[in-house]
Amino acid sequence: MKSETGFDPALYARFPTPGERPEGELEELERIWCAPRGWQLLTAVNNNYIGFFYVAAAFLFFLLAGILALVMRVQLALPLQGVLPQDTYNQFFTMHGTVMMFLFAVPMVEAIGVLLLPQMLAARDLPFPRLSAYAFWAYFVGGLCFFTSLFFGLAPDGGWFMYPPYTSITYSPGINADFWLLGIGFIEISAIAGAIEIVVGVLRTRAPGMTLDKMPIYAWAMLVFGVMIIIAFPSVILGTLLLELERAFNWPFFDPTRGGDALLWQHLFWFFGHPEVYIIFLPASGLVSMMVATMTRTPLVGHYLIVLAFLATGFISFGVWAHHMFTTGMPNLSIGFFSAASMAVSVPAGIQVFSWIATFAVGKPRYNVPTLFLLGGIVTFVIGGLTGVMVAMVPFDWQAHDSYFIVAHLHHVLIGGMVFPMFAAFYYWTPMTSSRALSEQLGKWAFWLMFTGMQVTFWPMHLVGLMGMPRRVYTYLPGREWEVINMISTVGAFTLAAGVLAFLIDVARNFRFTTDSDAGNVYGGGTLEWLPTGLYSTRSIPVVKSREPLWDDPKLAEDVEAGRYFLPGSATGLRETIITSPLRAEPQYLQIMPGPSAWPFLGAVFTAGFFILLTVQAYIPSFACGILAVICVLRWLWDTDRLVKEPDVDVGAGIRLPTYVTGPDSHGWWAMMILLIVVGMIFVMGVFSFFYLYGVQPRFWVAPADLWSLAMVLPAYGAASGLAWLARYMLAREATELWTPGVLFLCGAIALATGIGADLWSWIASGLRPDASGQGATVYALLGLEAMLAAIGLLMAGYISARNSRGMIVRPHNNSLDLCVLWVIYTAGQGALTAVLTRAVGG
Amino acid sequence: MRTWAFLLGGLVIWAVHFFTLYIMASVFLTPPLARTLTMLITLACLGAIAFLAFKARRIEIETATDSWVRAVALLGMGVGGVAIVWQALPALLV
Repeated sequence: MKSETGFDPALYARFPTPGERPEGELEELERIWCAPRGWQLLTAVNNNYIGFFYVAAAFLFFLLAGILALVMRVQLALPLQGVLPQDTYNQFFTMHGTVMMFLFAVPMVEAIGVLLLPQMLAARDLPFPRLSAYAFWAYFVGGLCFFTSLFFGLAPDGGWFMYPPYTSITYSPGINADFWLLGIGFIEISAIAGAIEIVVGVLRTRAPGMTLDKMPIYAWAMLVFGVMIIIAFPSVILGTLLLELERAFNWPFFDPTRGGDALLWQHLFWFFGHPEVYIIFLPASGLVSMMVATMTRTPLVGHYLIVLAFLATGFISFGVWAHHMFTTGMPNLSIGFFSAASMAVSVPAGIQVFSWIATFAVGKPRYNVPTLFLLGGIVTFVIGGLTGVMVAMVPFDWQAHDSYFIVAHLHHVLIGGMVFPMFAAFYYWTPMTSSRALSEQLGKWAFWLMFTGMQVTFWPMHLVGLMGMPRRVYTYLPGREWEVINMISTVGAFTLAAGVLAFLIDVARNFRFTTDSDAGNVYGGGTLEWLPTGLYSTRSIPVVKSREPLWDDPKLAEDVEAGRYFLPGSATGLRETIITSPLRAEPQYLQIMPGPSAWPFLGAVFTAGFFILLTVQAYIPSFACGILAVICVLRWLWDTDRLVKEPDVDVGAGIRLPTYVTGPDSHGWWAMMILLIVVGMIFVMGVFSFFYLYGVQPRFWVAPADLWSLAMVLPAYGAASGLAWLARYMLAREATELWTPGVLFLCGAIALATGIGADLWSWIASGLRPDASGQGATVYALLGLEAMLAAIGLLMAGYISARNSRGMIVRPHNNSLDLCVLWVIYTAGQGALTAVLTRAVGG
Repeated sequence: MRTWAFLLGGLVIWAVHFFTLYIMASVFLTPPLARTLTMLITLACLGAIAFLAFKARRIEIETATDSWVRAVALLGMGVGGVAIVWQALPALLV
């Protein structure tokens, strides 16, 4: 049979193994994966805990942002209400949108992924559990600090998309906008960390035999979701950095009087902002697809069409960002292209909806609470989708832009596409994490109140929008026939809130968190998360032969629980999981997993401290926090790349796997490549900004730095990549004693610093200053990015030297060195490109 | 990597087509030139998809996974082809 890695798939026939497992094997597994107690919860890294914390925190932010919405609805219920003054109202609607999008929606879908994916893929955990813990704590601590800015009147007030010039220092002189720029920029880093974890997890920790065609549809959704975050989020990270640089140091990226352009922000923001909608919708769509199959007791109709729809959405959603900018005066032809793409993106969404309808039609649906939320979500999402096609048409968009019609549209899409599926998922998967299922009776109350409230709130907004009511107004004059409609919306909002309250009562009465005595598979799901699990996930890791293994093999749960599949105990006495190949999920090696640690928690707290203190301009404490955060991260990494004494071990049925691999086979290599794509995307968007400003404001451009300076810059970068590569090459030459990898690598990092130093010096010598023009600002921003990467390269050199001095850079191959070499080579390449491109155009 | 490139080939070509059109429409603002270039880029991308589809027919199918990958890839090429034609229409109509 065909193999991807050389592994013989015929070996799968050895499972399930006959006979009993040795005594004490299960007890040892339980000891190794023991539950944290008391304060140890802060050090927990296991996905059962981190996933649960993550979901709970995201839901808390949903409630907080929902309360803000209720207060806003009270303010708008009647004309000239005085509940919220104008400034406070501006902060409320900004925080409502920002918290819902950045602190609830994206973290929630990521959180559900962290909770469900290891069980669904039958992995012991996701491959970087400490990264998950760091991402959660950074998000939670940072998010709470960000939200409390509201109580001090310091919350951002420029709308959730923070358009300059309104958010420039001239029109927003306080630190409110800085809270958004630094707070959100930082929370996005946490989202990217989670996305790296999820992408590598889906591709490399699937159960053996779970080939691409047998992968659960939810895992497909999360794979596309993760890739979309990696491509989209760098754009807004760059945007927030540029706007903060403009506000703090007067670099005029968005100031048209000095060669900047306010529309650049809109491009950067919406290149992230529109894919963001699908980043939220796709995971929810994956959840819906899983639940529809179970609730109708039939396999999902058109599984491969839905996979195709996910992939197509992932691509096309990056071609629609400018439909938020139809009224900005873009060239007609460009508008036409974006309008066409905006209509086209509804096709994959339609494929998914028709597939769900077909599955309901051919199956035998049970009309319980998850099904009600699923159907309610589909109906609401279709309404939002149809109004989306309406606003994709340019003449209609010109009329509806910035009106309440848009508010109605986006809430139908987001509540129908994500919130209702989330509640369906809560009811469906609660028996996996709780010793009791949630109540059908209270759940039905919750659904009907939420569904009715949703429609009563947002249907009328279409009308009031078409009647001319603009969004973001804190009040309106009487006599415009908006009063009754607004009152109806307010009543609807409180009905919706009553539904959420019913859900909370249900949770309080019935939810009891557990990791090992859950209520079980009450809905009869067919995928692996419904196998009996503990903190180690499944007792043994099954061989997957179909998309719904539990439906097709009724004995599977018993065999897995009896340890008759892969890895029935711990082969090394440590936490471990099997890393499989990305296409055919063939076992490749045993990953030794890191255990609980306080360092990710401390690193996250200090990272949050760095950003928050920077916002309030407490520079010394902020930089102290930054240094402490770096120390914590390095300390946590110190334990993660290690050899065990057994080079290979038996993982069941006599099959032996290595315990350490390097290069493209290792999960660390994949994570580093994804990180480099993130950095590369920041660079690409920086280059876009550079050429964009040159295109719209060429009269501000002056002659670039001297071309001769390249004679110093490019060789330095060449030396950096050559020395880094040589360090890696020489490591494999076991006999040599004339060098240490640390020294060669350090020389490479110094060459990197020399390259950026020379480039910077040549630009300073040219006389161009960063605050002089859009050209100066973008050139120095690109140089700043390069300098930051080079500084990380130097830090890596110190880290490698320290490991080398402790004999931890092992021969002939070593992951820590490999990954740092990749970083230096990439940074040198980006530096060379920066040097050439910034000199390519000028006045 | 080859499998991923094959699986996503049609959609990758759509993405290349879209961003090329965007850059082209931003750089060459004069409609006649932009329209001519749109047509040329569209024909080139459709040709690339046809080539990929032709290659797909010759790939050896040994397992159910191979067959599934080919089915999704071919559908992706079909969707990519239709999307490319759709995407080019504004150049003719606007």
